[in-house]
Amino acid sequence: MRNRAREQRTQRGLSQAELAAALGVSRQTVISIESGRYLPSLPLAFTIARLFDLTVDKMFDPDDEEADA
Amino acid sequence: MMPFIPPRLRKPVGIALAGVVFAAAWLARGGPLWWISILAVILAAARAVFLYWAGGQDTDVGALAGSRADERQKLVSLRSWALACNLAAIAAFVGLTVAIAVKATWWWPFVVILAVIGLGYLLGLSNYGAAEEGTPDDVDTGHQTRSPVNS
Repeated sequence: MRNRAREQRTQRGLSQAELAAALGVSRQTVISIESGRYLPSLPLAFTIARLFDLTVDKMFDPDDEEADA
Repeated sequence: MMPFIPPRLRKPVGIALAGVVFAAAWLARGGPLWWISILAVILAAARAVFLYWAGGQDTDVGALAGSRADERQKLVSLRSWALACNLAAIAAFVGLTVAIAVKATWWWPFVVILAVIGLGYLLGLSNYGAAEEGTPDDVDTGHQTRSPVNS
């Protein structure tokens, strides 16, 4: 499943550590989410989407199989 | 669990306590092997110091050692424990089979281990929701569910 976490983070000039602190998760988890290796829980997905002022379906695209692991 | 202890100290304290209890068992046993209790305390202390050090590292292992794991790290730990439990069950089954084949008297610990694993699994099913199937909504309402497309 593709997500726009990296794109949104870099647009806002945030480091992975800063995003991790904002989300209350580890830097390693941010890396895993950005690379598509880890699908976050629904609450975390909502937190990420809200942080970037997007809806969950705009943040995570289940139809895009290009980045599927 | 143990909320009164700072997160980074929880696992080291747990290991230290386990080491002290294990050492006390060897002391209570007495005999020429009493020195194993000292060895147990030293090893437990070393393990506790290592866990405290690891708990300060910015890694997944550090987060688990420091009791500050996030959801992904907890999932990784959970999967690892599940794998460890599966391996323990296989090892216990192999041990039991061998013990039976060689007519050994030490078969029963393997049965205890398998029983604990089996009961633990059943406890997990009852605790974590396998009994929450509920009743179908058509039973609750007295009506058959119909697809809105076919109505």
